[in-house]
Amino acid sequence: MVEHARGTYPNECCGAMLGKTEDGAKVVRVGVPMQNAHEGSQAAMYVLRNEDLLAADAEARKRGLDLIGIYHSHPDCDAYFSDTDLKNSCPWYSFVVISIKQGEFDHANSWLPDPDQTKADKEELDYGEADG
Amino acid sequence: MAKLMIPTPLRQFVDGRDTVEVEASTVGEALDKLTSQHTELRRHLFSEEGKLRSFVNVYMNDEDIRYLERDKTAIAEGDTISIVPSIAGGKHVG
Repeated sequence: MVEHARGTYPNECCGAMLGKTEDGAKVVRVGVPMQNAHEGSQAAMYVLRNEDLLAADAEARKRGLDLIGIYHSHPDCDAYFSDTDLKNSCPWYSFVVISIKQGEFDHANSWLPDPDQTKADKEELDYGEADG
Repeated sequence: MAKLMIPTPLRQFVDGRDTVEVEASTVGEALDKLTSQHTELRRHLFSEEGKLRSFVNVYMNDEDIRYLERDKTAIAEGDTISIVPSIAGGKHVG
């Protein structure tokens, strides 16, 4: 996921996270890079294709995993959950935001939006060395 | 018989199952039956006015039902209905 975010810098990347819930914690096993389908500048905006999400869900089922979250990058700014993120979110999934500064990984946060898209709670995120 | 694919976070409302089968002739009827049998699921898919929530898309096989006949889309044996959220965002503020 970090490699994907580095690769699309200075534009935003996006993708899905496949994994399992183990002892109450969501554990990401596979990051599925997707194409940013936003038609304007992608430096500050991403759009996921529904068809890509549908395919990711099918891939998860095939591997015995679950689609548990979505990730995207924020180039040259912090990994906050912006108003744009919130208004276009879905409360079913965790949203990991990866901060990439000057082309390199800086930090990441995970957010869980509420059903009314009015706020997102920060989740505990353990990403180790963030090597991929 | 329609087979509905349930997204992971919503499986808790359908006894943990990843698919649910219902007898229905249209997509709308299938969603009605699904959410009548599993009432907790309804508020996650529909607004209080009874419309699909803005971020909820419904696909029959690989086609968005908005490009078919929406909730009147007919179901044939073996068709699969999927619930797919719209997702976008970005650091842009405003």
